[in-house]
Amino acid sequence: MIRSLRVRLMLAAALLALLFMLALLPALQKAFSLALQESIEQRLASDATTLISAARIEQGRLQMPDQLPDERYNLPYTGLIGYIFDRDGKLVWRSRATADRDINYQPRYDGRGNEFARIRQDNGEEFFVYDVEVKLLGGKSAAYSIVALQPVREYQDTLEGLQEKLYLGFGAALLALLVLLWAGLTWGLRSLRRLSVELDQVESGARQGLSGEHPRELLRLTGSLNRLLHSEREQRQRYRDSLDDLAHSLKTPLAVLQGVGEGMGHGSGEREQARVLQSQIERMSQQIDYQLQRASLRKSGLVRDRVQLAPLLDSLCNTLAKVYRDKHVAITLVVPAQAEIPMEQGAALELLGNLLENAYRLCLGQVRVSLSETPDSLLLCIEDDGPGVPTDQRERILQRGERLDRQHPGQGIGLAVVKDIIDSYDAQLSLDDSPLGGAAFRIVFTRG
Amino acid sequence: MKLLVVEDEALLRHHLHTRLSETGHVVQAVGNGEEALYQAEEFAFDLAIIDLGLPGMSGLDLIRQLRSQGKSFPILILTARGNWQDKVEGLAAGADDYVVKPFQFEELEARLNALLRRSSGFTQSTIAAGPLVLDLNRKQASLSDQPLALTAYEYRILEYLMRHHQQVVAKDRLMEQLYPGDEERDPNVIEVLVGRLRRKLEGEHGFKPIDTVRGLGYLFTERCR
Repeated sequence: MIRSLRVRLMLAAALLALLFMLALLPALQKAFSLALQESIEQRLASDATTLISAARIEQGRLQMPDQLPDERYNLPYTGLIGYIFDRDGKLVWRSRATADRDINYQPRYDGRGNEFARIRQDNGEEFFVYDVEVKLLGGKSAAYSIVALQPVREYQDTLEGLQEKLYLGFGAALLALLVLLWAGLTWGLRSLRRLSVELDQVESGARQGLSGEHPRELLRLTGSLNRLLHSEREQRQRYRDSLDDLAHSLKTPLAVLQGVGEGMGHGSGEREQARVLQSQIERMSQQIDYQLQRASLRKSGLVRDRVQLAPLLDSLCNTLAKVYRDKHVAITLVVPAQAEIPMEQGAALELLGNLLENAYRLCLGQVRVSLSETPDSLLLCIEDDGPGVPTDQRERILQRGERLDRQHPGQGIGLAVVKDIIDSYDAQLSLDDSPLGGAAFRIVFTRG
Repeated sequence: MKLLVVEDEALLRHHLHTRLSETGHVVQAVGNGEEALYQAEEFAFDLAIIDLGLPGMSGLDLIRQLRSQGKSFPILILTARGNWQDKVEGLAAGADDYVVKPFQFEELEARLNALLRRSSGFTQSTIAAGPLVLDLNRKQASLSDQPLALTAYEYRILEYLMRHHQQVVAKDRLMEQLYPGDEERDPNVIEVLVGRLRRKLEGEHGFKPIDTVRGLGYLFTERCR
């Protein structure tokens, strides 16, 4: 299966040109050989005429001059071949060039006039023959057959030479055609290439939509794509806005309920009821948080997002440094300045925010974030010097994103969200010990 | 302490107002950003609690405006979505901490107290000046390890003066600490309260940390740690 459109078109065009030339070649050869035969016939006719005009009849006998006006008749070997027969078929004259040849030709004097033919000798040699029947002096007694001959070999040599030239010419033409075709296709397909560059830019987020500067044939396609991109973006935004509204309109009443519940617990029975109320409110709130985040942080199907890691980490660390100001956490970032991770900004913020907050909350005083790249993967590592996670509990918290400590109510969904985001981006999350002494969360993004 | 609460949901605003007042703060609760700006212009607050999802002027805009007007009191944001985008933007705009709705009041109170301690330069939960020690969590003062019997108003005045130690504090500022908003206020009440507080502090050891600066207000002369 040939994947390139250009190679396919080239192959098709080359095949077509080749078939065309193969069909053209015999026709050309036929036409040329006909023309050549015609010119040979004319030449032989003129040779015969030369002989006729040189002939003299004296006393009923044919007399030929020693020196003919056409010099070529006087040459012994390479000269013109000519015979004169009388009407009984008896040879009366032959040119010098026939001296060493023994050409077996017998004219039939049948009064039909001129005849052009091709004869074959016993030894395989072929000749074109031009046979003229003339009546000199207007008498029946002076009727002769004047015969001019030419070997077919010369004609064949010319024909073969022509064939060779034709092959060469056609080959060169085919080559030139292919080169021109390649150039033409490159020019013609340039708009497709530009479209693909623009699509790359759209995917990487460098461009919002495709430009309108495409050939007419592509405009419908680019128009549809632009509408699709636009509607996806709109839909995501609308989705996010409604989720925001939903969060606000659900959680503020919950906060009121929580307040009312806290106000209740005075009698001993009421205190138990208040406690149940509180725990149910907290469950509802966590479910809302979790489902909303899940819904809003899904990976986009069309655009392949990328986000710079360093600015994101800076803003998160500034936030956390403010919140955990009294703790004086020393943060180490080992991240190349221009490094990017293949995630949407909001999702990346949520993922890193949750993991970093965990680290800030549990560490003794040190947190380290590092990013290392290999040709086929990206490894993001978040470590702290806190107590770490016991080996037997690691699997469980990674599986369900469960929280180990229950001292910070209302923040229980962090790891569950982290796990969901990582799954939606086809990345892997693992948890082990850090050289700093605490937990190390490692995220591996596979390229491709 | 004098707190500004900006929350559009009336029930929650009322709840916050009630609970925060119960724990000894003077609370001004408003429902939108414009009103909050007006209040912040008129009165000196020690801390603001701002909901991010306000109608009209958003919580973020309110925080930016307050900061651009040079208001330096700590700001605690309430966020319904609880996502990091909101938290990062809120803190970058000038807030100091966040609480995600719904919250337990104890959690809000703990965050709030941490911010108040931090803003007055005290990161511990006690403030000490010579023999006088203030336990900010229990709202209890003790002198030479003996608990002092102070009324709620007296304690508030003492805490405020100690938080702003070695600064002149105007009577109006103290008044705002005791009564919210536009109520009718009598400056004599402050003089009476400060007089009673002085007597209790003086006790048998003659500890006199509060000076009167005529025409201006009061000054806590001792250095607090």
